[in-house]
Amino acid sequence: MLPQRSRLSVLVFLLPPLALYGIAVLLPIFQSLFLSFFDWDGISPMLFVGFENYIRMFTGDTVFWIAFRNTLGYVVICLVLQLGGALIVASLLTLLRRGREVVKTLYILPAVISTVAIAFLFQRIYSLDPEGLINQVLEFIGLGNLQNAWLSDVGTVLAAVSVPEGWRFTGLYMLIIYAALLAVPAELEEAAKLDGASWWQTFWRIRFPYIRPVWITTTIIATTNALRGFDIPYLLTNGGPGQSSELLTTYMYKTAFTSTNYGYASTISVFVVVECLVAVGLIFLLLRRKADA
Amino acid sequence: MTLTATRPIRPSEQESLPRPRRRQLHLQRKLTGVIVALIVIVQVYPLAWLFITSVRTEQDFAGGNPFALPTEITFDNYTRAFATGNLGLNILNSLIVTVGAIVVIVFLGMMGAYALQVLGFRFSKFVRALFLIGIIVPVQVALVPLFVDYAAVNLLDTYQSIIIPLAGFALPTSIYLFSSFYEYIPGEIYEAASLDGAGPYRIFGQITLPLSVNTMVTVAMVNSIFIWNDFIFANTFVLTDDLKTIPLGLQNYIGAMGKVDWTATFAAVCVSITPLLLVFLVLNKAMTYSLASGATKG
Repeated sequence: MLPQRSRLSVLVFLLPPLALYGIAVLLPIFQSLFLSFFDWDGISPMLFVGFENYIRMFTGDTVFWIAFRNTLGYVVICLVLQLGGALIVASLLTLLRRGREVVKTLYILPAVISTVAIAFLFQRIYSLDPEGLINQVLEFIGLGNLQNAWLSDVGTVLAAVSVPEGWRFTGLYMLIIYAALLAVPAELEEAAKLDGASWWQTFWRIRFPYIRPVWITTTIIATTNALRGFDIPYLLTNGGPGQSSELLTTYMYKTAFTSTNYGYASTISVFVVVECLVAVGLIFLLLRRKADA
Repeated sequence: MTLTATRPIRPSEQESLPRPRRRQLHLQRKLTGVIVALIVIVQVYPLAWLFITSVRTEQDFAGGNPFALPTEITFDNYTRAFATGNLGLNILNSLIVTVGAIVVIVFLGMMGAYALQVLGFRFSKFVRALFLIGIIVPVQVALVPLFVDYAAVNLLDTYQSIIIPLAGFALPTSIYLFSSFYEYIPGEIYEAASLDGAGPYRIFGQITLPLSVNTMVTVAMVNSIFIWNDFIFANTFVLTDDLKTIPLGLQNYIGAMGKVDWTATFAAVCVSITPLLLVFLVLNKAMTYSLASGATKG
């Protein structure tokens, strides 16, 4: 703390950022909570309905539950691709002698591409007619009977819209985990190897526990990012066919800006906020407890 | 995902191995190299495909194998892309929004971190917790309320309508990055300056700000990627063609042409991602350098 700071100087520095944050983030959260108790289309007078929106959401709305289930699937696929992929590639990278910088740079390149561009790209990669990349590769390796219109098949569409999201951010998480792995003291691993520990044992007993704090942070970032996933499903399929790739976020968006049901959309928003807070809390509890055991 | 930038990278640990393991390791390294190369190819191939398609002739793309190498290279797609779409205007709009938001994020982030970390006050813990909410909460929660608010104060369809939420949601990580850097500025510097009679404003302008340049670059770079590519805020708050940013311009592309002109669309995609790609590759080097030199000094 500065000895000569005054109350005024604190306010001068703190108020501008706090004001912007308040207008853009905090106020909207409270407004959503407020609107979630109303029936409102943005034009006619607001109608207070109490908990009716919540009752409808939890008991009367099958689309909501489908979207909720899809969101969970989307998050799981993204996490496996992003964190699993990141951990594997980062570990492999520490074994490399040369070219680490090049690999790092190339590997995060997809993160630089806009979601609209990615949607165009994957539309072509998945397509069946004309034959897209995946179907061509299947044909080439003799699995032509597995060819599929990946984005119109209700069984594959959720995975198909999740993969691009996983693909595009795995590089960023890889960078974080790689930096953490580099910080594991070499002496620790050497000592374990001299004691006859296998690579696998060294990894799980020494490396992984050592990077656990970073792993927790990365998991939280990846989960909250996956829970706010919107662009790619919205652009690739707009939730379809049917509701088979509908996420809570896309459902909320359509409810708000296509059906102009601001009240109910806010109710879904409130649920998404709570869901994120619960998810972060759970990750913290689960990974912490393991660390203590 | 911004956390990497502040963590210094240690020199590699590979040299201190006992001799008998060397040969085994040599083979292992080769194998690792091959696997990593394969993974990188799979990761980067879609991007390479984008650029290759953008120089392919229409007939080659439609008739031939669109995933093989092109038979001839053409830049007609780019001409058509610029002729049909509004790419120049879109890029200009994206630049205005990105630069505007970055300036806000960097300066307000610095000010917030200075108040929280350097000046300090009684409720700083509470304010920090408040900012944490913005990292956890999904941006979609702000869409309906901001749409309603903007409509009330006539801010819909302005640059500010996109800049405000983009900057607001990026502010917490910016403050976090600056604070964790300010933690390492030794208190003696501030005490000495105070003894010389410098108040909080002069200390900010003459000590903290000049020291923050590296962090400013980090914050600006990481955020520019997300802001340049923002789709959801622009898609919600921009209603007319005049203000459309690059992602919206691209999205309009397909509809505007009736039938999809894929090669021209991919040319437009390439135009839209190239500036950021270049900035990224250039700054990436600068960042690696500053991180490495920071690590060796410390």
